[in-house]
Amino acid sequence: MSSPNDPGQAPAERLPHRLYDADGNPTKDRPWIFRTYAGHSSAAASNALYRKNLAAGQTGLSVAFDLPTQTGYSSDHPLALPEVGKVGVPINTIDDMHQLFEGIPLAEMNTSMTINATAMWLLALYIGVARERGEDVRKLQGTTQNDIIKEYLARGTYIFPPEASLRLIAEMYEYCLDNLPKWNASNICSYHLQEAGATPVQELAFALANAIGVLDTIRERGVVPANRFPEVVGRISFFVNSGIRFIEEMCKMRAFVELWDEITRDRYGVTDPKLRLFRYGVQVNSLGLTEQQPENNAWRILIEALGVTLSRKARCRALQLPAWNEALSLPRPWDQQWSLRLQQILAYETDLLEYPDIFDGSVVIESKVEELKRQAREEIARIEAMGGIRAAVESGYLKSQLVRSMSERVSKINSGELVIVGVNRWTDGLPSPLLTGEDGGIFKVDEAETRRTLEALAAVKAKRDPARVQAALEALEAAARSGANLMEPSIECALARVTTGEWADTLRRVFGEYRPPTGVEGQRLYVDSDRVAEVRRRAEEFVRRTGHRPRIVVGKPGLDGHSNGAEVIAVAARHCGFDVVYSGIRLTPEEIVQSAVEEAADVVGLSILSGSHLDLTRQVIDGLRAAGAGDSIPVIVGGIIPKDDHEALRALGVRQVFTPADFDLADVMSRIMDVVEEQAGVRAR
Amino acid sequence: MTAPALDDLIAGAIALEKWPLARLVRLFEDARPEAVPGKAAAIAALEAHGALPRATVAGFTGTPGSGKSTLVGELAARMVARDPAVSVAVLAIDPSSYRSGGSILGDRTRVHFPIGERRLYFRSQPSDRELGGIGRATYPVVRVLERLFDYVFVETVGIGQSEIEVERLADRVYLVLQPLGGDHIQFMKAGIMEVPNAFILNKCDVGAAARRSYHALRASIDFARPGEATPPPIFRTSALSGEGLDDVLADLAAHRTLRDAAGRRERDRYFLEKWVRDEYGRFGLELLERQGGAEALLARAAMFEAAQAAYRPPVAPPG
Repeated sequence: MSSPNDPGQAPAERLPHRLYDADGNPTKDRPWIFRTYAGHSSAAASNALYRKNLAAGQTGLSVAFDLPTQTGYSSDHPLALPEVGKVGVPINTIDDMHQLFEGIPLAEMNTSMTINATAMWLLALYIGVARERGEDVRKLQGTTQNDIIKEYLARGTYIFPPEASLRLIAEMYEYCLDNLPKWNASNICSYHLQEAGATPVQELAFALANAIGVLDTIRERGVVPANRFPEVVGRISFFVNSGIRFIEEMCKMRAFVELWDEITRDRYGVTDPKLRLFRYGVQVNSLGLTEQQPENNAWRILIEALGVTLSRKARCRALQLPAWNEALSLPRPWDQQWSLRLQQILAYETDLLEYPDIFDGSVVIESKVEELKRQAREEIARIEAMGGIRAAVESGYLKSQLVRSMSERVSKINSGELVIVGVNRWTDGLPSPLLTGEDGGIFKVDEAETRRTLEALAAVKAKRDPARVQAALEALEAAARSGANLMEPSIECALARVTTGEWADTLRRVFGEYRPPTGVEGQRLYVDSDRVAEVRRRAEEFVRRTGHRPRIVVGKPGLDGHSNGAEVIAVAARHCGFDVVYSGIRLTPEEIVQSAVEEAADVVGLSILSGSHLDLTRQVIDGLRAAGAGDSIPVIVGGIIPKDDHEALRALGVRQVFTPADFDLADVMSRIMDVVEEQAGVRAR
Repeated sequence: MTAPALDDLIAGAIALEKWPLARLVRLFEDARPEAVPGKAAAIAALEAHGALPRATVAGFTGTPGSGKSTLVGELAARMVARDPAVSVAVLAIDPSSYRSGGSILGDRTRVHFPIGERRLYFRSQPSDRELGGIGRATYPVVRVLERLFDYVFVETVGIGQSEIEVERLADRVYLVLQPLGGDHIQFMKAGIMEVPNAFILNKCDVGAAARRSYHALRASIDFARPGEATPPPIFRTSALSGEGLDDVLADLAAHRTLRDAAGRRERDRYFLEKWVRDEYGRFGLELLERQGGAEALLARAAMFEAAQAAYRPPVAPPG
């Protein structure tokens, strides 16, 4: 047997359990790209974090932007202020972008940006930085997430209606084809669908139908010549989730690979197998991470990482792992380092990368993969019959399917059918020493950084050339109206030091803003227990005593679009006999106050995951008071709310605080009913 | 409620302050017999303050998916933005669950309304297990809102057999359709095409499909309503782009007529009988006849609510 260090000597035989390179020498695979989803506070603070992470052995960057940047508001917009730097880095102008990548050569980096509605703008800023630095733009490598469908369905940072949004995506593919050949203009995301409750089959079907929608759009536009269309197909990449059922998840990945090969060959006639590869990155599941006994999440993350690395044929290209304490707050740098170490151990200490695919030939795996593929094909056919992914979004079909899956999941957790250790089984545990550090084991944004961001924005506005700004914005608007590609006008906006808000506002004027279906109408909750019956009985008693049904206004103030929690509460409240005024997402506190007052709500439920709960809640309570309803309409709050803040919320007047630990819906509804009865003075028990 | 408290509430509602207004509406949503005297007192107080019926009531009906909610919201917002003197209340009805009695009232999600604009009031209402396009509390609440606003828009649950109720309630009824819905064929079978005063073909931003639908709809109306001197208009709108909305508003303004006393009395009669039937069943209706019938009861009482109060129900109400 020849050793890998023994060149020139041809091996006598090939062993099925070994990997060989092109010359027939035994070899091992290169690891996937290690990333950590990161960014917070300000461009300067995030830059420092990136450099630290790269020094620790991270091999790519994954940029988290704050919600104003994602939804096209500059940091000084009233809707933006409470959110600046909370869940990611704020980027207002090209100067912020320069700061963010200071000391990091762009041409040598692989950068993934979680950015969607404003993806074109952020890519324009990135290109702008490269141009101003004199770097070779053609060498830029990375990904803009840029998947608007899942924003409508699950994540909520959309701005424009579907047609305009798909146009922006298509134009980026068309632009990148020649100008940034190594850039993934978008990333078809099934990740967020799983977070919103999607089953593996739904994940497969919805993501693939989504990719078909993007490719069909580009093909129908006819900008890319037919002979180069296969290259566009080859640029489609995916962003996938990996859940705790890791065998099934691994099979799901194999099903993805095989179905994509099939679709690209049969539907798009791509002959080059390389252009048919299913290229994907992964962030493993956050939905299943628990607030209770959070240290258990470390094991969950490990197992979920195995799901997307074990099968060589379906191994991810890039992996980012959440931190063990994500259900509690944003992770600290140490938490992220701990997750990175997991990847390094898996790739470098174990023998994982030394073997060909270890599942080939397994009848069990093959049968499971075939079943997933068959069910996914059926669902894709259903979506096609409706007129494709866009029609299925606009009709509310996809959203209602997800809300239903999520309701079923929650129902199963409630009934104990779905076991979650530390949540509905083995709930008594010793206190975790990980949570007893000086900072309580959680991360807090430094408020001073927001001031620095605002100062930087003001400084840019003061020193830029207003004539160039105006000309750039006018050119952008003209191109938007004429249908010309918006990339170059956007790059000129970047170089002219236009702000994020100005760029987005210009396009809002042309395209309008979109409000997709909420998916909560007509949903049922599959929870039937004595305790639900009890809440219903109390609701009927409330009707008898007061002459009206208990009425809850459920709203999500601020820019955070993760609406699952609010939706589940809306469906559960209706199930328990409430009239639910569900107002959707991205509302200002004033809008929620107006809904609550006009509707004479018995209680207002706020859902806040962005970390801005104190600010936003205070504004709602002040607003109710100003309308004269402060003493009449109680407020409850749910979301990712650190223990330390519960007291502060109660001091503001909040009557109940719910966190992910409150998974038992009957209990949640019962506590909401307590508040409503107490307020109306009809306490029945 | 004490008399001074009621007076404060009425004064606030007349000034279109949202919280007093919302509480007043709540009073009229209360369907319990014991709420009747309070409602009668509130109507009397409104009239004493000079708040007499003055609204044109417009009913908007149509299938789910026709974009009805967005359209009604945009029409209302546009109306108050265009004319600084006009005020509009929107009453949007959504279905209730038969199992739990609860409901999701999602119509507010469709439109961003101006903040703090007193001349625009939006209220959601559950159908409360009613089969018709409107709820049990719809008529009582309309009776309040029509004394406070220039226009009251009622958006129905959807389309069903009981669109006739909307016709009874509203001064002008619009049927909202979407292009290529094919709905009008079904509507024709169900006799619904005969009800509306005007048709709105919404989502006309979709182009050629909208044009084809327009001509198909025109033909269906001609077929369903032959020989009408002035065939009902069809408006082509897009709530997204705003196209055609002004035409609908102009149509409303052109039909800004008030019901005469006879028309109001007839509407009261219909909804009084409906109330008796809903609350006390067929036996209740028999009792109403023995007490002289709805018309006589309304003639004796000064108003709808007083007639409700004067009605003597079965001794042991079912329940």
